[in-house]
Amino acid sequence: MLNMNNISRIYQSDTIQTHALRDFSLNVKAGEFVAVTGPSGSGKSTFLNVAGLLDNFDRGQYELDGVSVQGLKDDELSRLRNEKIGFIFQNYNLIPDYSIFDNVDMPLRYRGFSASERKRRVEEALEKVGLVSRLKYLPSQLSGGQQQRVAIARALAGEPKILLADEPTGNLDSLMARQVMEILHDLNKGGATIIMVTHDPDQAREVNRNVQVIDGQLADFKIYAPLEKPVDSSGKTISAAVNEEMADA
Amino acid sequence: MNFTTLNIKGLIKSLLLRKFTTGLLILQLAITLGLLVNSAILAFDTREKMSQPTGLDDENILIVSTHPTSGSYRDLDYYRSIVNEDLAKLNQLPGVNSVSITNQLPIRGRGMLSNTHDIDNPEQEKTDKYLQDVKYTLADENLAEAMGFTIVEGRFLNESDELDFDSEAKNNIVITESLKKGLYGDESAVGRETNNGIIVGVIKDIMLDPTLPRDKQYGLFMNTMMKYIFIGRFYVLNVEPGQMANVRNQVTDTILAVQAERDIFDIFTMSEHLKSFYRDDQGLSDLFLLLCGLMLFVTAISSYAYSQFHISRQKKFIGIRRALGARKKDILLYVLTENWLVYSIGCLLGVFVAIGFNILLSQHISLSKPDMMLFVLATAVIFISGTVATWFPAYHTSNISPVIATRTV
Amino acid sequence: MRSNSMFTYNLSLAMQSFKRAPSLYFLVVLTLSIGVGLLCANLALVNSMASDPIPEKSEELFHVSMNTWPNDDPQAEPFHILRYREAMKIVASDIPKNSAVFYASGVYARDSASLSLKRFDSSVRATTPGFFALTNAPFAYGSGFIKSSGMEVVIGHELNQKIFSGENSVGKVLELDGELLTIVGVLKPWNLRPLFYHATEGRAFNLTDDIYAPLETSIDLGWSIHARSSSTVSYKGVKFTRDRDVFYLQAWVELENSAQKQAFQYYLDNYSQSLKEVGEHPLAIRNELRDVNAWLLEQNIVDQKVLAFTLASVLFLCVCVFNASSLLLSRFHSAKFEVGLRRAIGASNKHILVQGITESALLGVIAGLLSLLLSWLFLKLSTKFLPDLENLAVLEPKLLLLGVLLALVTAVFSALYPLYRANRYTISAELK
Repeated sequence: MLNMNNISRIYQSDTIQTHALRDFSLNVKAGEFVAVTGPSGSGKSTFLNVAGLLDNFDRGQYELDGVSVQGLKDDELSRLRNEKIGFIFQNYNLIPDYSIFDNVDMPLRYRGFSASERKRRVEEALEKVGLVSRLKYLPSQLSGGQQQRVAIARALAGEPKILLADEPTGNLDSLMARQVMEILHDLNKGGATIIMVTHDPDQAREVNRNVQVIDGQLADFKIYAPLEKPVDSSGKTISAAVNEEMADA
Repeated sequence: MNFTTLNIKGLIKSLLLRKFTTGLLILQLAITLGLLVNSAILAFDTREKMSQPTGLDDENILIVSTHPTSGSYRDLDYYRSIVNEDLAKLNQLPGVNSVSITNQLPIRGRGMLSNTHDIDNPEQEKTDKYLQDVKYTLADENLAEAMGFTIVEGRFLNESDELDFDSEAKNNIVITESLKKGLYGDESAVGRETNNGIIVGVIKDIMLDPTLPRDKQYGLFMNTMMKYIFIGRFYVLNVEPGQMANVRNQVTDTILAVQAERDIFDIFTMSEHLKSFYRDDQGLSDLFLLLCGLMLFVTAISSYAYSQFHISRQKKFIGIRRALGARKKDILLYVLTENWLVYSIGCLLGVFVAIGFNILLSQHISLSKPDMMLFVLATAVIFISGTVATWFPAYHTSNISPVIATRTV
Repeated sequence: MRSNSMFTYNLSLAMQSFKRAPSLYFLVVLTLSIGVGLLCANLALVNSMASDPIPEKSEELFHVSMNTWPNDDPQAEPFHILRYREAMKIVASDIPKNSAVFYASGVYARDSASLSLKRFDSSVRATTPGFFALTNAPFAYGSGFIKSSGMEVVIGHELNQKIFSGENSVGKVLELDGELLTIVGVLKPWNLRPLFYHATEGRAFNLTDDIYAPLETSIDLGWSIHARSSSTVSYKGVKFTRDRDVFYLQAWVELENSAQKQAFQYYLDNYSQSLKEVGEHPLAIRNELRDVNAWLLEQNIVDQKVLAFTLASVLFLCVCVFNASSLLLSRFHSAKFEVGLRRAIGASNKHILVQGITESALLGVIAGLLSLLLSWLFLKLSTKFLPDLENLAVLEPKLLLLGVLLALVTAVFSALYPLYRANRYTISAELK
């Protein structure tokens, strides 16, 4: 699915050359849930930017879903981002002036879907994160966890090949973080490929594979056994948990 | 262009969130449109006025305005002899078809006027007030040829129409066609008598006073120029096409060679005379155009600042859009559409400003009502100048890197 | 002096701010000064046109209109020009302190003692002697003539410059259209804007005359009428007008109080009544006295084109203010971090406001100075496009002041909303 080979990314300032990534190689297979960890400044953000086609790289090969990305034009990169990648950011990155519906709708417009197709997909995606009742709300009217779930819906709506999550729970309290993680695991169960940058070792342990980045290189590999379905003893489903939270809001 | 990538409703919402700046820009655009439309009206009005047919051989008529400076001219016989010599000498210039003299020119407001009515029907002046101010032109027999009058009925003045200077007999007169209609309707006028003399001919209308209606160009001509030579201020020369510059250069020397104690105020063609009549209209219209230029400039600065300011606040969101798959041209279109939306609202509002301004202006000057074409034209100008002004910030914006989306500050 | 040092501190902050975004401030100053300059230039024109040319006694000088038209056809309204007989009736009255009856003419003038035959085209005011006292004509040399006849003239400053290069020419003899007249007085430079004594026929902004000649002499010499005349009969020149129905003389009287005015009105009406009694006044009696400002207002001398353009320049100034306001808004917005910082270290809202107003006032002063230059430029430009305005294009000190004030006010006004917004940025939001 994602195949990086000896990628280097060098930032050049007047006096210093910084190797943000140095001969970085990583292969992620379809259906995998990979956690990327590492100290700050290690290059994990750069990795995510390169993986998400937000930033270019200086050396190496990168193949995403069978498409070799080096040498692609800006428009083609945009198209790939739009069609193959779903982004989940630490600070959600919702457009504050837009309603929940319009936020999820936005990338679909760039895809050129018809209005009815967009509507169907937006509602379906919001259904998956349990927020379909809040189409007309503004992001500021939602809690942080809800906002992040909107962001997940936005990432899902385009039916991407791969989800890239950048500290998706970094701004959330533990209860909300838990809900978001549950959604991600659920999606992974449904077959989604996920790469998540995180500094939370517990989260890193819950996934299929944890890779560690230090000084721009892949330092460590840990492969964990796939987890059981995250259902608590009472047998509550995710959406039930969501409803509970709504009652609080 | 693919407008489905845009969320128009979202755009409007985002404009509403910047009510103040958007409102200011919309007001500016509306005022600019109002001024553009009315300036265009002034420009077109002036052009139309200047291109009205005068009924004269405009390009080939040369006029010399002159006056003696010496006291010797108070002897009118001396005055006449000099004028006759002037006329003869001017006539001999190569390229001159004919030469005449008159007390006043067409295409002038007011001037020497006289009330005119059929001798048996003085009441006419009460039903048609234009008959109270009929342009009263003193001429000699050559004026028709020099000016290029067209005879409609009868004949123009001839030498026999010039009476002895102390004669009390009635003068023969020639009148314009509209005066004939005003006095006698469709009947023939030749042989009829007015308070100013007996009509011997009717000429096709010429533009005597542009401030009067086209069908009220009332004028009469009589062969008394030599009698009242002291008001004979204008020599009228009809010049062979192509010879104008040549003749023009020789006129002053020719006249001064006859007698030097003369002031030659001005030498001009009839078309220059027409232009100078509308000089102030032209000047005002030019001033308005100048103001339009300034206003477009200022509004362009505002459009630029508006999008620049907006973009500086939207950088992050533009980055997010890029990260989520917007192409550069999508962003370009997004920024431009936002501006176009503002221009559209501004121009729509501008229609009212234009109409209001038009009403306000028409209390001071005469100008036509705005029409649809002018609105379209002015709107196009605003869109083009606005787009040019926002192109740079918009283009700059489209180059915002999507990486910005993952930054947390 | 705490407030004083605060002021200098604010000024220095403003200067720093200008340095930080020079092109933005340049645009603000430029647009404001163009807007103010243009409006000021137009106001200067309107001011020249609408001003009182003789404020010291404009309420005591009255123009006389009468409706003595001898038949009932065209002239139903009182007429601003009079026959010789009415004019003489006015001159004969001893009610007014001064009276002047005149018509406009023109002659060619040269120094009779000069060898050169060059003659100068000169405008003539053929008038009764009361003219000089009535109009407060300023004499440089000599004085006015005392009688309405006699071969004497008074000349204006400019003609004296042209013919005698400005020296005292009293006693010299001019040749005017072949006749010899002696100079008895020379005027100082005399600007009357508007030229109230002859505001009709579009002459309200002509210069004062070159030559002032006795009325009877001018008529006898046959100096033709260079302004509107109207008659019911034909006549062979001005010489033959005294006993005919030729209307061409304008009359002004100086009446010092309402009693005099009433008495003079009565005098005129009485005269009209006497005409009516012998069947020479077919119209209803309507004699009108209007003081200088009422007369000028009635003549509608303010150029409508200039008024129209002034309207447009008011709109333009609005656009300039809006533009400055949105520019300042974006400037203050980008400086909000700094504002937050200042607030955090203890500057009160008021400090920030005073700082902002100091900055905009400084902008206003700069724009004001620039606008003076631009007003002058626009005036030159206006007279190029509308040459008739040439005698009017004068920037008086009060207009210069108005320009600077206008710039100051518009600059502060432009900054008001942006400042209000800047003051609402919360400290925490900017400094988290």
